[in-house]
Amino acid sequence: MRIWAVMRRDLLKLARNPLTLITVVLMPIVYLVIIGNSFAGQLRNLPVALVNGDSGVYGRRVVERLQALQAGPKTIVLTYFEDAERAVAATRNGLYKAAVVVPPDFSRDVTTGHEADIGLFLDNVDVVSARTLEGALDAAIASIRQEFVSARRPQLGVVMMRPVELFRTVDYDASLIPGVIVMALFMGSLTSGVFNWVMDRFLGVTEGYLVTPLARWEIAGGMLASGVAVTTIAATIVLFLGLLLTGTTFTGGVPALATIVAVMLLSATGLLAMTFLLLGRATHPRLVGVFAGFLNVVLFFPSGAIYPVESFPSWLGAFAAYNPETHAVYALKQILFKGANFAAVAGDLAFLAVFTGVMLVLASVTFKRTL
Amino acid sequence: MAPESAAIRVDGLSKRFGDFTAVDSVSFEVPRGEVFGLLGPNGAGKTTLVRMLTTLLAPSQGRAWVAGHEVRGAQRRVRESIGVIPQALTSDLDLTGWENIDIYGEFYGVRRRERHARARRLLEMVGLAQRAGDLVATYSGGMRRRLEIARGLIHSPEVLFLDEPTSGLDPQSRRAVWDLLAQLRAENEITISLTTHYMDEAEHLCDRIAIVDDGRIIALDTPDGLKSQIAGADRIDLDVEGDVDAVVAMIEARPGVHGVQRTNAASLTVAIDDGAREIPRLVDAVETLGAQVVAVSVHRLSLEDVFIHFTGRTLREERARKVGFFVGPGMPQAR
Repeated sequence: MRIWAVMRRDLLKLARNPLTLITVVLMPIVYLVIIGNSFAGQLRNLPVALVNGDSGVYGRRVVERLQALQAGPKTIVLTYFEDAERAVAATRNGLYKAAVVVPPDFSRDVTTGHEADIGLFLDNVDVVSARTLEGALDAAIASIRQEFVSARRPQLGVVMMRPVELFRTVDYDASLIPGVIVMALFMGSLTSGVFNWVMDRFLGVTEGYLVTPLARWEIAGGMLASGVAVTTIAATIVLFLGLLLTGTTFTGGVPALATIVAVMLLSATGLLAMTFLLLGRATHPRLVGVFAGFLNVVLFFPSGAIYPVESFPSWLGAFAAYNPETHAVYALKQILFKGANFAAVAGDLAFLAVFTGVMLVLASVTFKRTL
Repeated sequence: MAPESAAIRVDGLSKRFGDFTAVDSVSFEVPRGEVFGLLGPNGAGKTTLVRMLTTLLAPSQGRAWVAGHEVRGAQRRVRESIGVIPQALTSDLDLTGWENIDIYGEFYGVRRRERHARARRLLEMVGLAQRAGDLVATYSGGMRRRLEIARGLIHSPEVLFLDEPTSGLDPQSRRAVWDLLAQLRAENEITISLTTHYMDEAEHLCDRIAIVDDGRIIALDTPDGLKSQIAGADRIDLDVEGDVDAVVAMIEARPGVHGVQRTNAASLTVAIDDGAREIPRLVDAVETLGAQVVAVSVHRLSLEDVFIHFTGRTLREERARKVGFFVGPGMPQAR
């Protein structure tokens, strides 16, 4: 079989450059470690300047609450100031993410029932930390209010929320595993397949085999098949390394693994066909590299791997719905963490199959067997 | 000759790239078993012509048949019948010599057992049997070229195309490639089409030579036939200082002189009978005119002279010179 010869050539060349394959496996793993620790679910160690101008009991209580926040969940690191103006200036200069100022007559206002304000000066340019601080500080101070209220009035009919976890507990970094698998699929697809074709053309090597009886579909099909094989193997390694690194156990046995492999095979074929469609006529491998970086951002971040798709603005949500990586991430999440079976992800698999089919048709129409 | 019986038949073939005509209405025929040379300077259109014959480029006009199959329409048949050794080295550096040949054999659909037997024999023939298991990345340029010749033969093609097979090789490697082609010819029924810009290569290897210039074939004959088209058995090369135009006029008028060509601003080539005896007289005559002979040499008529005769310039001269500042009155190439 001629197509097998094309595949063998491609695979042999990849095998002689193990560094390529190692990169495809290692980079998503490094991403996992970096994203897992930099975006890390809850924010920690945010520097906060604190000024307590109040000598009363409630001022002291605010300080205690903040100290508890510092000692417990370690959300903040407190620095104490005497002067409110200096604290705000230091925050303005970027030394602190926020300045908390308890005014001199705070206790009196609380006890007399006046509106009691605490100044919260936020570095609102750093949106993520500002939002977290606002929430955390508000919660801490709310408990003071509540305490005060409850001293005067007995609490009746309070609605309590008790969270019930539907699925097994998933650590933040483990929750990233589907994303990094998809990233490995993407990277594998762009370091094999069309890249090899463009590289051959760039090196003038295509001239050697375009004069052989190899048909168009045999050349593209062989390169695509070797790309799918390599990409799926790389993604499987990433899956197990990811589970190992995050200490997650794999449940579901062979059916789950088979479904995961099906997702991988479909996604890899679809992505590879897509890159043949987009880059099949590129004359310089650099173009593939540039495009890879661009496509990675465009496909990966709206895939729901890091942020929930539901929170996207409508236009991005619409894009995400047609993004193959979204469906791959979703299916992998279902199988890995929610114990879903094949039927539960059949819709995503169907989408991936349609996407892959369309890409294969378009790629084979546009692929040219020329120098 | 019917298209089927010739190894190569080319009929009014042209290739245009935009306004530029790389190959201009070329016609010729190569009978089976011949070694056919396409000789011309860089940019003459040789590679474009070969690329059309090997199905890599579609002709703009005209028709061509290789091994009886038309290059436009029966590409697959043509590809099955030809072996191509392109100008650029195209073997895979990451694969071994053996793998390169074996995989190409598979591209041609040669069955495994036959493929392996033939690969062994070919590697032996090109002297790479000992290195077959090494990565091509460790090969020298000459070795890679020999490997690619073996690769081009794995399916026993009817016609072998070699594009500049020895360019960039050291003299020893060149000689090895020549010997290989001579051996190939002696042992097989194969037609070889060879492009080169080396005179000695064409003269050494080819049965017939087509001189290609500006996309056209301007002469086509055996090496001896090409030489016999030109008068004067010897060539005297002169470098002259002084009134060169006057010198040219004087020499042209002398008996036994069949023509003078200026190959350079101050360099002349004189076509002459009995050149060795004529040198002293010629030098005297030049000096009588008040000009100086700086250098002089004589040689028997060679293919290089044939080329100069037909194209008006030496093979190594680049195209730019022809239209550049060396052009002066009386230059034969100002056509």
